[in-house]
Amino acid sequence: MGTTDKYDAIIAGAGHNGLTTACYLQKAGLKTLVVEKNDYVGGAAVSRELHKGWTYSNCSYVCSLLRQEIVRDLELPRFGLQVIPYEGNVTLAPGGEYFGAYGNHDAYRREMERFSVKDADAYDRFSRIIMRQCRFIRPFLLRTAPDPTSLKPRDLGELLFMIKRMWDLGRREIDETLRFWTMSIGDMLDEHFETDLIKAGTAGSGIIGTGLGVYSPGTAYVLLHHYMGDVDGSVGAWGFARGGMGAITRALAAAFTEAGGEIRCGSGVAEIRVSGGRATGVLLDNGDSFQAPVVASNMDVKRTMLKHVGREHLPAAFAKAVENFKIRGSSGKINIALDRLPTSDTLPDNGKLFCGDYSCTESLRHLEKAYDEWKDGYWSSQPYFDMLIPSKIDPTMAPPGKHMMTVFTQYAPYDLNVDGVRSPDNWNEETRAAFAKSIFDRLECVMPDIRDCVVHAEVRTPLDIEREVGLTEGNIFQGELTFDQLLFNRPVPGYAQYDTPVDGLYIVGSSSHPGGGVMAAPGANAAREILRRKGLGRRMPKLASRWEE
Amino acid sequence: MTYDAIVIGAGHNGLTAAATLARKGARVCVVEKNAKPGGMALSGTLDGVEMPRMAHLVYNLNPRVLSELGLSNVNLKPLKTVSLSPDGNHVVLDGNRATRVDGTPHPEATAYAARYDDLKRFSALLAPLAERSAPGVSFGGRKLDKFSELMAAARIGLKLKLLGRRNMREFLRILLSNVHDYTLDELSDGPIAGAMAADAVKGSWSGPRSPGSVLSLMYRMSGSGPAHVMGGIGKLTEALAEAAQSQAAEIRSGAGVARIFVAEDRAVGVLLDDGSELRARTVLSSIGALQSLKLAGVEHFDAETVTRLRNIRTKGTAAKINLVLGGVPTFSGLPSDLLGARIVIAPGSTYVEHAFNPAKYGEMSEAPVLEIVMPGQIEPGTTQPDRHGMSILFHYAPHDLEGGWTDAAHARLLDITLATLDAYAPGLRQLVVASEVLSPARIEAETGAPGGHWHHGEWSTDQMLTTRPASGLAHYRFAVRGLYLCGAATHPGGDVTGLPGRNAALQLLKDGACA
Ligand SMILES: Cc1cc2nc3c(=O)[nH]c(=O)nc-3n(C[C@H](O)[C@H](O)[C@H](O)COP(=O)(O)OP(=O)(O)OC[C@H]3O[C@@H](n4cnc5c(N)ncnc54)[C@H](O)[C@@H]3O)c2cc1C
Ligand SMILES: Cc1cc2nc3c(=O)[nH]c(=O)nc-3n(C[C@H](O)[C@H](O)[C@H](O)COP(=O)(O)OP(=O)(O)OC[C@H]3O[C@@H](n4cnc5c(N)ncnc54)[C@H](O)[C@@H]3O)c2cc1C
Repeated sequence: MGTTDKYDAIIAGAGHNGLTTACYLQKAGLKTLVVEKNDYVGGAAVSRELHKGWTYSNCSYVCSLLRQEIVRDLELPRFGLQVIPYEGNVTLAPGGEYFGAYGNHDAYRREMERFSVKDADAYDRFSRIIMRQCRFIRPFLLRTAPDPTSLKPRDLGELLFMIKRMWDLGRREIDETLRFWTMSIGDMLDEHFETDLIKAGTAGSGIIGTGLGVYSPGTAYVLLHHYMGDVDGSVGAWGFARGGMGAITRALAAAFTEAGGEIRCGSGVAEIRVSGGRATGVLLDNGDSFQAPVVASNMDVKRTMLKHVGREHLPAAFAKAVENFKIRGSSGKINIALDRLPTSDTLPDNGKLFCGDYSCTESLRHLEKAYDEWKDGYWSSQPYFDMLIPSKIDPTMAPPGKHMMTVFTQYAPYDLNVDGVRSPDNWNEETRAAFAKSIFDRLECVMPDIRDCVVHAEVRTPLDIEREVGLTEGNIFQGELTFDQLLFNRPVPGYAQYDTPVDGLYIVGSSSHPGGGVMAAPGANAAREILRRKGLGRRMPKLASRWEE
Repeated sequence: MTYDAIVIGAGHNGLTAAATLARKGARVCVVEKNAKPGGMALSGTLDGVEMPRMAHLVYNLNPRVLSELGLSNVNLKPLKTVSLSPDGNHVVLDGNRATRVDGTPHPEATAYAARYDDLKRFSALLAPLAERSAPGVSFGGRKLDKFSELMAAARIGLKLKLLGRRNMREFLRILLSNVHDYTLDELSDGPIAGAMAADAVKGSWSGPRSPGSVLSLMYRMSGSGPAHVMGGIGKLTEALAEAAQSQAAEIRSGAGVARIFVAEDRAVGVLLDDGSELRARTVLSSIGALQSLKLAGVEHFDAETVTRLRNIRTKGTAAKINLVLGGVPTFSGLPSDLLGARIVIAPGSTYVEHAFNPAKYGEMSEAPVLEIVMPGQIEPGTTQPDRHGMSILFHYAPHDLEGGWTDAAHARLLDITLATLDAYAPGLRQLVVASEVLSPARIEAETGAPGGHWHHGEWSTDQMLTTRPASGLAHYRFAVRGLYLCGAATHPGGDVTGLPGRNAALQLLKDGACA
């Protein structure tokens, strides 16, 4: 039997959201403990040395969504967080063509004109729409979603805030916004552009991490989840965390421990203890148990409620809703230690000067077909890749002269279909190897010598991601980002304010509003709600300004 | 002479608009390019057998349209739905009841009833939205309009509240969700889920997994449920035509419109294909939005509106196959008294999604979703013993078929249909005496509907309410004074509902446009 200790709050899971909640609770004076199943903190925002000398950001790999308000408030730069913006994206078509999307507006236009003058003209209009939508949505990120069925002043206030912001857009923009939120990225791009490669290169962001295709309504909104962030105030820009994504969670952990918090790694929560409808603490796999009147789970809602709380403590309707929460994995990843930079002949000067990310795709049609295969439980034979060689920007990621490359691939199923049977158990050494081979085959089309450059590669299927990070089914956002699971519907209608039917138990990870990505907003919002319920609301710093931008 | 209103197109919406206006004393003339009024809701004959040419049932015909126009002679016969299963375990759906063909309850009956009741409740909630101009924040506009719109929105909000917490939450959750997950959360991927999925996506360029498909299912469930118009669907349009004519409206068939005259920013009449001109104070067009714009002349529209109308998605996916059979077919495991039901081949939601896949790439479904109606079985005594009409809706047949809609492609479509039917009704192929295939291309040629599209423009969340047909044009008024849209391209959309026509006429009257 292990130890038993008392805390004011326990955070189950040391992902970036759990750590964010932990920081705010500890700073508000609650004695807070973070327990993490892995030997390291970070969850899906980690840096790991899986091959000697190389650092892998082996889940998330680029940073933009992380709310600056939180970075500033927790003084993360003081704890070593440094985000280096990178520029541009180039889409490589296996056929040998490429399309560069540059940060510099004029350069971008010139590149588009290489394909179509019409597209270049459309680009300004398109980016204005995206930018307006980003502006519209950003203020909601650090607010709690209102319960539309509630007549409490707070809910009504938040609801009015939403309606007012909508109303302020004016008729035209309201229409545009409704359209944007419900449209497919494919249709949206078809409206603006005519060049396949341009459309395909842009569409990737609408499907990354989702169980939707480019022509599924709602994917234009998903695109926002990749544009609404910023690096140092430059909205839509992406950056690279020096030292890998783990730098973010390391900084959060350091801020937390500096404030007096305690982190225990290496043994996961086996059970969240509930008695009389109240959370009372956690029991770990190693037998240790800790008590606290507040338990905040960084795990996704499904895992938390069904695996660690148990149906017997939950109202049946709630348990059912959690069970029906859509959290399908659709992405895989390969992290590669490179001996040297692979060549990609299609790019001028072999892309030597290019430091942004590469994607690989050719047309919306290909992307949609890739989705169709996934629907049936197969990995896409011609997947979408988003690739980055962070060592080009950050030399600490690989030994001198060597490089590190991350390849994010869409789509890969969790319940793999083998001979008509769909099951995660179908993922084994053999199928994983076949999966990796299909990725390398495709990579070879755009980087012919890639195989020769590989020193070590880590292949990650949705099942691997689930096993390591605990993201159920390997869903990178801890739950699909469709309207039925956004705002007051996330994760479950009626429990969208980080609370659960179990008193004192909170969901603080990406399963909650505003959703996935390394954003820290769910964690901070949850801390605010927890403190408010304890009557300590005043101790939470005000992060959201009333009228941002 | 100068009419108060000219209505372009004698589909059911054009006729509804005409009858509604005529009843208020307006001098109306309907001009229809085809020889017979009816549009997509038309009875035709095939090899001597009367047959619904395109639309064959009503799902959500609005009762107000019938009562306001006094169409007491239109009789609807509600139909049961039989959803076929390849293993012979067919399901009979009748309202919220799900049974086996022998009348015993289906194991999933309770789950189905719960889903059905929810959808029905929510669609009733939304119905008032469809019965009026799309609610909009009419900045500017008349104060009274604004107020009544706000009141309408408030009423829906209030009704939503009155549904109770659980229902309100469920409504807001499923509003934009997809029918695949919605059904499969509670039901198995079998014929019940399949039938619901098929009803949701009918006429759309979307599959059950597409978010928004639950909303289109609610739309379709907002009426009586699937029903046969006694005497055939054409009876409905005939009754509408009579209602209009009895109020002195003229209907001119074989009179296609070549142009809409606009003078001093006002619609003043139309030019017919034969060169004759008609003058009027207002013009209502029931054809596609972009098509109407072209008739009026692009110069009357600002660039933004033109772009928006060009961007309306009109990729038709529904085809129609009409057969005359030499004998009554036998569906394995289906008692013959159920041949008068609406028979659906959609044995699962995944099946429907798979049927949609090829349409995305310009190919027709090899395993299509079919909806089959045998009018002669519904109204016995109307058929000859050796001539049985079978009306079949086919999904998905994309308008932009790779290689085009050649004769061979039409033959292929028929072949796929017969092969699919044969699997459930062995020997059916041998019974075929006559057949006709209406691909989206042919539907477009016949009715002028853009893309041959069922709704004259995709019925999807981004093309509804204030964005149907396009932002800024949501109140039936079409850019120039006196010009209105009144067909399926407008709010609330397609299906034989009568609402676009009725709402447009009421809007026009409210605007005092033909006074
Ligand atoms: C392959 C991949 C690539 C991605 N790329 C990006 C990207 O480039 N940019 C971006 O912004 N986002 C990206 N994301 C998404 C983003 O990483 C996640 O949405 C986000 O990190 C989730 O953070 P979280 O704190 O909510 O949850 P998590 O990071 O999942 O944290 C949950 C924590 O709980 C722990 N845990 C699980 N079970 C237990 C237990 N029983 N007991 C104790 N602890 C437990 C886990 O180990 C983990 O540390 C990516 C995700 C993946 C998987
Ligand atoms: C194959 C198919 C099956 C369907 N089945 C059903 C069903 O079972 N149930 C259901 O509820 N809905 C069904 N629908 C949808 C429904 O039929 C339509 O949404 C509805 O009938 C549209 O009515 P409308 O009056 O707006 O347009 P339409 O019926 O298309 O009428 C437009 C009229 O305008 C005329 N016209 C076009 N151009 C000109 C011109 N230049 N000058 C003069 N006239 C012109 C056309 O000839 C036509 O008569 C089906 C649609 C299709 C394509």
